[in-house]
Amino acid sequence: MQKQVSYESIILRVVARLMLPILLLLSVFMLLRGHNMPGGGFIGGLVAASAIILQMIAFGPQEARGIIKINYLILAGVGILVAAMFGLPALVADLPYMTAFWIPEPIPGIGKIGTPVIFDLGVFLTVIAVTTKIALLLAEEPELFPLAMADDQEGGAPQV
Amino acid sequence: MLLLIVLFAFATSPMGLLARREPRVLAGWGLAILPLIIFAALCAQIPVITDGGSIVEAIPWVPAMGLELRFSLDGLSLLFALIISGIGTLIVGYAGAYMEKDVGLGRFLVYMLLFMGAMLGLVLAGNVLTMFVFWELTSVTSYLLIGYKHDYPDARRGAQQSLLVTGFGGLALLVGLLLLGAAAQQVGVPVNQAYNLDAMLAAGDQIKQTALYGPALWLIFLGAFTKSAQFPFHFWLPGAMQAPTPASAFLHSATMVKAGVYLLARLAPGLGETPLWNYTLISVGGFTFVFGAIVAFRQNDIKALLAYTTLSQLGGLVLMIGLGGKYGSEALVTLILAHALYKSALFMTAGIIDHETGTRDLNRLGGLRHTMPVTMAIVTVALLSQMGIPILLGFVAKEWALKAALESTLPAPWPTLGLMAVLLAALGYIVAAWRLFKQSFLGAPTPELLTRHVHDPKPAMLLSPAIPALLSLLLPLGLLPAVSSLLSPAAAAVYGERFSFELYLYKEVNLALLLSLGAIALGTLLATQEQRLAAHRVIATVSGAELFDHFIDRMLALATWMTRTLQSGRMRTYILYSLLSFLLFVGLPFLAYGLDEMRIPYDAELQFHEIVVVSLIPVGIIATIMARSRLGAIIAVSSVGAMVSLLFVLFSAADLALTQLLIEVLSTVFLLFLFSVLPARFRSFSPAWVRWRDAGIAILFGMLMTGLVLATAPSTMFPPLAPYFLENSLAGGKGANVVNVILVDFRGLDTMGEITVLFIALLSIYGLLRFRTQRNALPLSGNEQQRPLPGATSNGSHAAPVPTAGSSREEA
Repeated sequence: MQKQVSYESIILRVVARLMLPILLLLSVFMLLRGHNMPGGGFIGGLVAASAIILQMIAFGPQEARGIIKINYLILAGVGILVAAMFGLPALVADLPYMTAFWIPEPIPGIGKIGTPVIFDLGVFLTVIAVTTKIALLLAEEPELFPLAMADDQEGGAPQV
Repeated sequence: MLLLIVLFAFATSPMGLLARREPRVLAGWGLAILPLIIFAALCAQIPVITDGGSIVEAIPWVPAMGLELRFSLDGLSLLFALIISGIGTLIVGYAGAYMEKDVGLGRFLVYMLLFMGAMLGLVLAGNVLTMFVFWELTSVTSYLLIGYKHDYPDARRGAQQSLLVTGFGGLALLVGLLLLGAAAQQVGVPVNQAYNLDAMLAAGDQIKQTALYGPALWLIFLGAFTKSAQFPFHFWLPGAMQAPTPASAFLHSATMVKAGVYLLARLAPGLGETPLWNYTLISVGGFTFVFGAIVAFRQNDIKALLAYTTLSQLGGLVLMIGLGGKYGSEALVTLILAHALYKSALFMTAGIIDHETGTRDLNRLGGLRHTMPVTMAIVTVALLSQMGIPILLGFVAKEWALKAALESTLPAPWPTLGLMAVLLAALGYIVAAWRLFKQSFLGAPTPELLTRHVHDPKPAMLLSPAIPALLSLLLPLGLLPAVSSLLSPAAAAVYGERFSFELYLYKEVNLALLLSLGAIALGTLLATQEQRLAAHRVIATVSGAELFDHFIDRMLALATWMTRTLQSGRMRTYILYSLLSFLLFVGLPFLAYGLDEMRIPYDAELQFHEIVVVSLIPVGIIATIMARSRLGAIIAVSSVGAMVSLLFVLFSAADLALTQLLIEVLSTVFLLFLFSVLPARFRSFSPAWVRWRDAGIAILFGMLMTGLVLATAPSTMFPPLAPYFLENSLAGGKGANVVNVILVDFRGLDTMGEITVLFIALLSIYGLLRFRTQRNALPLSGNEQQRPLPGATSNGSHAAPVPTAGSSREEA
């Protein structure tokens, strides 16, 4: 009953390989421009996650794991930690938790830097980690989710 | 100071574990230093309080909601705190000797010290919300103590009963206190003071006028009556006697059960003196007073006998609060002190008898006067105080109780009823005390006892009951002025005005004295008939505990039935029930109130391309329904999402559009995974009527949601937030992208919560899938593999889609 999952579409593989760096760059771009233009940590995270998931569909979960060799569960936790840390400096200054601080002048090429950017980074990391990990979890259960759509004739569904 | 006292009690509680280490000097009296320090610190405050002062400490937490950590010390809280720490000292020392050979002694002492901290916090709290937190803590620690011998089913049952009853009361109390706070705000108390006890009581007269007063009071009564074991919630207290005797002596006689009384006494000056207050408390308290006393002398277990006299005494205290007035409050505080002293002594000696003879059954005891003379002396003094025999503190307290009833200014039947209750209870106490004394110390020892080498315990154990028993005797003999000066501010706190009173043993021959002596005479007469009385059929015990157990059983059966019906493990039933309950609980009110609110905004300037995009949405939906293959359905449903994100683009919500689009892409991928387990083509397994029913429910639900949007979108109930965000985004948030500034700055805490939810969803999916893999390793899976039912392979495959689809879509 064990189905062999095949990840063998040449077109998809070529496109996926080309797209990976572009999408990952795009995701960082989205993260950084988020404060003034459409984008942000959430969108950036989703872009990065879809880049990795695209690899997973084209090459299989093994290959996809190799792109970022990291434990996604830990990454998600780190993301939340980073996001939570951003509120702490305010406490030192005796202001309410999560009060934002900004460097007065924008840094050329990067833009304005302040604590909300760190928060966005935390969101970014968490979204990447959670989305990718869920996809990997599903893909690594070929018995449960045999990815390739079973054909009607050989699907083995009982006739009721 | 007060905060420090409470913190000290909690912080040092782990030191109880030291009792298990060698050298064992720390067990018992060594550790008793901890409560003793608190007792000393409180004693140092006595002059301040007796001079009419009070101490208040407050740490604001959420002032906008009236939440604060406020402690205040006045006469009443000082009296309670002294009793708690004083008896706590004796009990910790006693426990060390009583449970010397128990390996769990350390754990037990930790619980005891924790409980003491909670109880101190409760009586020192100056804010009702602070008080509530400690109130619940006492319930929890009491649960741990009653269930200490968790190997015994009876102990577990007693612990569960007490937790359920007091926990239920606690919930009622919380609602009652919140209502009271709301009432205080209605009459003009500022929010940050609304839960402050002093402010609340000061506004008491106006609060009584509000409509919230009645409901709030009933709920608070529920909380107080359950905690203080008033009829009909009394049954958990005898059950709680499963706790080791030191805990019973501490919690279930001297301290915790008085929390309800304390709460009522605390609220009395502001909220009392209304018919509802007086008559309820007199009826419930008076009945419990008599009921407990009568049931008590039928008991054969010493601890059960003491438990019933305790709950009777608690009824007496509630009765005193109900009678009110100066004498009522004087009698209340005197009774509290007298009862705490003699009852803790009695419980501890009951523990000693149990410890030495191995039984608490009155029918198997006897003749202990030869073997345990010191214990007998202590018991005698304590029992005399309980019976209210002259020159003991109990006598003074009883006389004041009679005076409270005689001098009451309440309308006709109530003072008389109160008087009857005091006299009847006094008779019951005498019979119960005589029976306890006669059965254990007089007569001949049973053969069983002769084989044991029964003797008085060592002084370390005798010291604890001896001190309160001696105080019961010595206080009235020489120290009444001192006691009066301590009790006066306590009575004043209950009465609400400063006044002082003098306790005395004998001043003149008056009605109260005559009644008191008459009761003693009649009681003595009855006591000679105690065997016949105890066997009397008419005085049957109402076994609330059994009723309660029956009730809990039915409750569990109902819960099992509900779980079986609702938690079928099938996605479609879950969705069906969710939609149906939404239709019922939202749809019906909407039909009643919301229809008029619906506005259909008509915009003549709809563009052609907008109409096209919108009309493609139903096309996608119909295509999803009609699709023959799952792949087709997935693509069709994602086209709907694509159209929605196109709409966002048209209304220049770029961020929303981007997010929606990405989520659509990812959900399509996830759906492909999840559906790949099912056959590619749809097959219908349901009969036609089920499909029509589901279609009907789906259409109704869609209509309801549309109606809700139409009704709420144009609502002007609240000023819109958008202008604020638009104005402050660049200036305050340093960002031109308002959506993002809202996400990371204005509503940063929300986003924080959302990513935490994402993480939790991930963990659940992880757990579900890994758990499933392990379960499949069981031989059972061989069966499954032969007949793979689509969509029914295991729970894992069902449950997994729920959080996935939910979490990824929710964020859009």
